Amino acid sequence: MKMRCVYSIDKSLRHVGHLDIMRTIQRALRRSELPVCYSEGFNPHILLSVAAPLSVNMAGEREIMDIPLSESVLPETFLNKLNESLPLGIRAIEAHTKDDKAKTGMSQLLACSVRYEFLEDAKALIAAIPAFLEQKSIPAIKKSKKGEKEYDLRPLIYNLSEEGNGIKALLALSEAGTAKPDAVINALTSFAGLEETPYYIPVRTGLFADKFVPLELA
Amino acid sequence: MLTDKQRQKLEKILDTVDRPSRYIGGELNAVSRKKQADDMHFAFCFPDTYEVAMSHLGMKILYDILNNQSDTLCERVCMPWSDMAEKLKQEEIPLFSLENKVPLYSFDIVGFTLQYEMSYTNILHMLELGGIEVLNRDRKEDAPIIVAGGPCACNPEPLSEFIDAFSMGDGETAIVEMTECVRRGKKAGKTRKEIIESLSEIEGMYVPSLYNTSYNEDGTIKKFKPIKDNAPYPIKRRIEKNIETLPFPKSVPVPFTQAVHDRIVLEIMRGCTQGCRFCQAGMLYRPVRERSCENLLDLAKCQVASTGYEEISLSSLSTGDYSQLEPLVKGLMDEFEQKRVSVSLPSLRLDSKINNALKETSRVKKSSLTLAPEAGTQRLRDVINKRVTEEDLMRSVSEAFILGYSSVKLYFMIGLPTETYEDLDGIADLAQKVSEEYFRLPKGSRPRGLRITVSTSNFVPKPFTPFQWAAQDSLETLIEKQKYLKQKLIKIKGVQYNWHEAELSLLEACLAKGDRRMTKALYLAFKDGAMLDSWREYFSFERWQKAFENAGIDMPFYANRERDYDEILPWDLLDIGIRKNYLKRENERAKQAIQTQDCRQNCNGCGLQKIPGVCKI
Repeated sequence: MKMRCVYSIDKSLRHVGHLDIMRTIQRALRRSELPVCYSEGFNPHILLSVAAPLSVNMAGEREIMDIPLSESVLPETFLNKLNESLPLGIRAIEAHTKDDKAKTGMSQLLACSVRYEFLEDAKALIAAIPAFLEQKSIPAIKKSKKGEKEYDLRPLIYNLSEEGNGIKALLALSEAGTAKPDAVINALTSFAGLEETPYYIPVRTGLFADKFVPLELA
Repeated sequence: MLTDKQRQKLEKILDTVDRPSRYIGGELNAVSRKKQADDMHFAFCFPDTYEVAMSHLGMKILYDILNNQSDTLCERVCMPWSDMAEKLKQEEIPLFSLENKVPLYSFDIVGFTLQYEMSYTNILHMLELGGIEVLNRDRKEDAPIIVAGGPCACNPEPLSEFIDAFSMGDGETAIVEMTECVRRGKKAGKTRKEIIESLSEIEGMYVPSLYNTSYNEDGTIKKFKPIKDNAPYPIKRRIEKNIETLPFPKSVPVPFTQAVHDRIVLEIMRGCTQGCRFCQAGMLYRPVRERSCENLLDLAKCQVASTGYEEISLSSLSTGDYSQLEPLVKGLMDEFEQKRVSVSLPSLRLDSKINNALKETSRVKKSSLTLAPEAGTQRLRDVINKRVTEEDLMRSVSEAFILGYSSVKLYFMIGLPTETYEDLDGIADLAQKVSEEYFRLPKGSRPRGLRITVSTSNFVPKPFTPFQWAAQDSLETLIEKQKYLKQKLIKIKGVQYNWHEAELSLLEACLAKGDRRMTKALYLAFKDGAMLDSWREYFSFERWQKAFENAGIDMPFYANRERDYDEILPWDLLDIGIRKNYLKRENERAKQAIQTQDCRQNCNGCGLQKIPGVCKI
């Protein structure tokens, strides 16, 4: 069986990179003595598949990972054992059993929701949102090892709106196209005619499959 | 603690610096409680980056001990990388501890570990970044007390203007006594100066402000003079008689980011009986003291359960000499094979015992085999008293290839006393033979991807070794020798050659053998921006040359000059328990290329046998 686990990464750990978070979770699994599976080969490691790596500087409230297990375990047991072993700042929130053959979260993923928590005044930015969204296209530049590529950000933004003193967004996140949270806020900044984005902490609040079904239920 | 405003600035800074997770703390098993009013607050400072610090066993042991004391809170502080150091200065955020983000200046005691000379400038930077006056004499009444310990404390003079008190020798009980002494002093309302002076009453502690040094016209030392009658002279090293009963951590902080050595480290034995004549640790950590196999298996279980690490490394100066190595390795493998925890054995000598150990450890994961013949010919190995033969080496290598190891690392030193080019040829010959040994195995039965890494470090004469009087090769000679080796080794199949920078070794020799006048050069280099000197990208030899010149001292005087037996050495005011006569005798035997046997077979009279209850061999 597989366990699909919803977990959170606190703001206190937002500066820990993806690979380091993975290793931390693997070590927690090892300490938990849950019946995890190991890879074959020279350096056996615990099998675990994270639906979407979280970029450094971001916190995550409902991240998803799939963990193959060699024996069946009750979701409550799984949660208790894992939480006993995780360091402060990472919490397992929900566990859903899945069939061994079930698709991985990564392959089902289509979108994510994000909250931008501003620590500096963001009124001008928030005011610009309606007009920003009315644009037919939002040209942006993607930098990769191969060079720079222009692409249209607009169809990848499903929603962008004010929330409290901040901004929330629903953004495409899949192999077909991804709107990076900072790319969206940078585009909004220049659209609003601001020189600098007010300082914010980005928090990913959820991951979604087709028809915006929460990934843990897909 | 940092103010809210500073915390917010810090959040921003962390978004921009390289590897920010090394500044956040919060690791599994790290201390998370806040300081209480009665706590003695100890900052354990490691003067290098977090990744290096978190690989260091000594810090983990002392951190554990202090935090298990009542009314004591120990937090860790590391040297920030240059980008972070610059940002901290810019934003006026003082260097802070990992646990509670407390500025260095508000601790009661700030303790540095002295692991290698090239970290000295980092100490000065950490003090400055932490809001503490760099020079002892400039510190105000409310400044923390700055202490230091570790192997380099055996010649503390180059740091004597920056550190208030040094602790020499084993630290486990000394650090507790030190903390209690400061606590008592503060409670009794003593002045900072009085507290520092009272530290000298603790066995193994050296308070430099209680001594004066005078010099002869030729620059050598004329005399040490205690300023106060009750100042101990010479200062005796602290020796723990039994390490079995010393505390050892059952859990250690597990870094998020990968440390240089990211694994459980178990100290199986302290001290070494081999008597290699270049080796400072081999003298400083005497006598040999073992931890029992049962105790170690217990500790291993606790640490695996509390950390989740996937590797255990057995630490000692000469792992093969540990009397219960086979049962220990077998016990560990039996316990952990199912859990896929591997065991590694650094510091193995080349003798027959290791083959069984290799067989056991290769059950889970085949790591590389590291061997340290140190010199290329039997003659030179006799000079340095590294009693291994080419036969030993070849047997181990051959066994390792058969067991499936494809990677062999060979460590050598160049510039050793009496070395000639024939000895360098010997290094290349050995590498050649190892390569041939691999290709002798039939294709199907040898592991793929041969990798022989030959590394040479440059001999640095160190205090309290038989070679303490020796001159280091000049820069030019060392560089010449490296070039020579490079063109020879490059031709051998599967061989890769690494060498240490000669300029760095020269400076290491100066700092290792320096006297009080060295403080000035160190200070000037620091003021001129020297930091992270053990990192190639930051080391600037020109900067150091300038600093020495402006300090009015000469590198060759300290590093490249053979010293007379009757010269007073800067570290002669310390007594580590090893007699000078023994060191002289060993140096003379070296000159004649005569081996001295392992002292477990026959006492060589190093001096420790004279201290009751210390040496049990």
